[in-house]
Amino acid sequence: MAEGAAAPFKKVAEFPSNTRYVKPGDFPWWAQPAAKGDHYVKLVSSQAFPIENGKPYFVKLRVREGVQEVWSEVAEATAAPNIFNTAQANNLVFVVAFTGVLLASIAAARRNPHVHLRRIAGLDAVEEAIGRSTEMGRPILYLTGSGGMDEVSTIAATVILGEVAKKVAHYDTSLKVPHRDPIVMAVCQEIVKESYVAAGRPDAYKDDSNFFITSDQFSYTAAVDGIMLREKPAANFFMGSYFAESLLLTETGASTGAIQIAGTDSDHQLPFFVTTCDYTLIGEELYAASAYLSREPVLVGTLRGQDIGKALIMGALILGTCLATLGVLLGTDGFSYLLDLFKDFK
Amino acid sequence: MIFLKRQLPLAVTFVMGVAFAIQYYIPHPVSEEAITNVSKWMQIISGFALALGLASIFHVHAVKIKRQVPGWGYSIVLYAAMLATIIVGFWSKGETRVNGAQTALGWLYDYSMVPLQGTMFSILAFFIASAAYRAFRARSREASVLLVAAVLVMMGRVPLGQFLLPWTWDVTQWLLNVVNSAVRRAILIGVSMGQVALSLKIILGIERAYLGGGRDQ
Amino acid sequence: MKDFARRMIGIDRRIIFLLIAAAVLLPLLRPFGLPIKISPEVRAVYDYIEALPERSVFLLSFDFDPSSKPELEPQAVALLRHAFRKNLRVIGMTHWLTGTGLADDIFSRVAAEMGRERGKDYVFLGWSPGAGSLVIAMGQDLYKAFPSDYQKTPTQGMPVLEGVKSLRDVNYMVSLAAGNPGIEMWYVFGKDKYRFEMAGGSTGVIAPGLYPFLRSGQINGLIGGLQGAAEYETLIKRKGTATAGMDAQSATHFVIIVLVFLCNVFYFVLRGEEGKSN
Repeated sequence: MAEGAAAPFKKVAEFPSNTRYVKPGDFPWWAQPAAKGDHYVKLVSSQAFPIENGKPYFVKLRVREGVQEVWSEVAEATAAPNIFNTAQANNLVFVVAFTGVLLASIAAARRNPHVHLRRIAGLDAVEEAIGRSTEMGRPILYLTGSGGMDEVSTIAATVILGEVAKKVAHYDTSLKVPHRDPIVMAVCQEIVKESYVAAGRPDAYKDDSNFFITSDQFSYTAAVDGIMLREKPAANFFMGSYFAESLLLTETGASTGAIQIAGTDSDHQLPFFVTTCDYTLIGEELYAASAYLSREPVLVGTLRGQDIGKALIMGALILGTCLATLGVLLGTDGFSYLLDLFKDFK
Repeated sequence: MIFLKRQLPLAVTFVMGVAFAIQYYIPHPVSEEAITNVSKWMQIISGFALALGLASIFHVHAVKIKRQVPGWGYSIVLYAAMLATIIVGFWSKGETRVNGAQTALGWLYDYSMVPLQGTMFSILAFFIASAAYRAFRARSREASVLLVAAVLVMMGRVPLGQFLLPWTWDVTQWLLNVVNSAVRRAILIGVSMGQVALSLKIILGIERAYLGGGRDQ
Repeated sequence: MKDFARRMIGIDRRIIFLLIAAAVLLPLLRPFGLPIKISPEVRAVYDYIEALPERSVFLLSFDFDPSSKPELEPQAVALLRHAFRKNLRVIGMTHWLTGTGLADDIFSRVAAEMGRERGKDYVFLGWSPGAGSLVIAMGQDLYKAFPSDYQKTPTQGMPVLEGVKSLRDVNYMVSLAAGNPGIEMWYVFGKDKYRFEMAGGSTGVIAPGLYPFLRSGQINGLIGGLQGAAEYETLIKRKGTATAGMDAQSATHFVIIVLVFLCNVFYFVLRGEEGKSN
């Protein structure tokens, strides 16, 4: 390869003639760089041979067998950036299709708002937990997890906080929301305030119910454990994403006798939540919570859309497993056309 | 006001959401440059957000001291610790070591931060034991399966268990690599679908409760 | 018997804490040193580093703070010893602000022990905000993301970074993580976009959650908790704090197993007695 037709050529690759074929699995069938059975070499810009956009490059090929060798004609090509990564076209199609399914489900839910939702015990217990706090005259502690506002689980936690705050305002109980992220704190302040207004109790709202502690994992945990031991909240909510601090928080909460409701998509912390909390929302139940608590048709409709999406994935998994197994048994790569549709190409 | 608090954030969410969803599929330098720039904005915003947090800490503890609520003395300890760390930080020019020698900030870090944080994490061992004692009971068939799996993994993950019952090593590897991975994948697929759905709801403005005030469409 | 069982089920948890303390302390005072088996996920990390040519670029991200030091420091020390022994160029950094001092200390200590030179054989970039955004910035231009290292030395022109423009030039990357930002974030914003091979090291608490990423090839190896660190120490034939701590971990696991067994015995006694009285 060279930077000019007359410039000295540099060797960029050398390989035996029975290797580096374009074969199924390396590229999707809709974006193959060459025909099946052709050879290919992938060139990556490097310090030794930098490739710049808009610059022409010259390539020639040498075929050698024993002492005999043949040079090909020089081919010229100009480097240019791609506008679209065609290898990821399947990904885009699925996203668009899923968006369509979701919007259709929402439209269907608007027409027929009576969609059945299976019971989620953890969310049914929210009312009970708040009622218990009111009776005991103790505060409610609500944590939004370790993530920032760019994490979906944190957003879901803030949405549930809005619903919880409405009920708290209604019962006139005290709410405490310690934070690890200042932006999440600012968002939650707004949400809680609006919830008190929506519940018709703007006078009961206290600005310092949301407060920042520290962004450091265990300093935060120590501070929240301290709040649990000193103020003995009657109900603890752990929503959002958590790491090693989860057990330190929930075990301390359990020792104070509080009713504890957790909801997380941090699957690695589920065993701790399940063993120490009274109720645990597992994975997507956390995202479904806002629909469940508000029963709004639009939100409930998206749950239906999600279920259809999951059913499609399950179908693809079963079909893919069967076809891949059949392909191995029959010694054919004929099914790769279908299997490529579900692969993640870069 | 409603424009600033509702319509504008929703418009920004929609435009940026769609733009950066599409960006994923575009390997062009312009697209790469765009995401780099937005990343920088996010870094700058997260820096400013720290001021919000500091203001909150000062406010909450000032109120505690003013009202002399029980334990208000600890708020003074917090102010003193913060002030001391800031002074020491400036004095040490933010360095924990200079030419291999420990600075005052380095001393604070090594001899207060490290042991305090280590203590918090080590409590986990004690809490795991007390939680296991309370919760691991064979109440039902499912709980019994959980109990047996937990005991096997606890045996197979340590040399003493591997020495006493060598087969627990293979069983543990199988449990972690096959059963554990399969279950977690199932949860991950469900979680991912939920994330995509919630992201779409946010981008399309269907879910707007995170802006405060519930849904008003 | 029923009363005894009831009393034992509701035992003061401080007694359990005392038993655990004894199980940790006694083996540390009188170690019994049992052999350590190597798991394929830890061996995969070792083999990959072992196969790297000399002066390859190895990025080690210390995504933890002092709280996870007992588990993750031995992993970091073992990996650094291996990388320096293989004469790799090592780039270090952290996404956890409070872990910066600890990471620098580990780096300096192991480098001094292995006779490696800062700026020539290794560089510690320190901390910068942004997590995922920072990784994207590093993927575009390492020098813009980190114009200087932790010692305020300009990164541009450093011999250790010769030929390294961005994350695309990294040959292998390991994130030692106690949480987020950590391994998943490095995969999503780093490996997925800039195509380098990576592995993870984590605390024991989050390790089981990372197995799906291991099985799917999103990470090529995983060092889980103190056990993983002890396995790596065994592989590089340099025993350290992890190997020493495994006896304490063995004893603790056994105390928990005995406690769980006793708790179930009391539970069945109580259930049996209640069944009879009904």
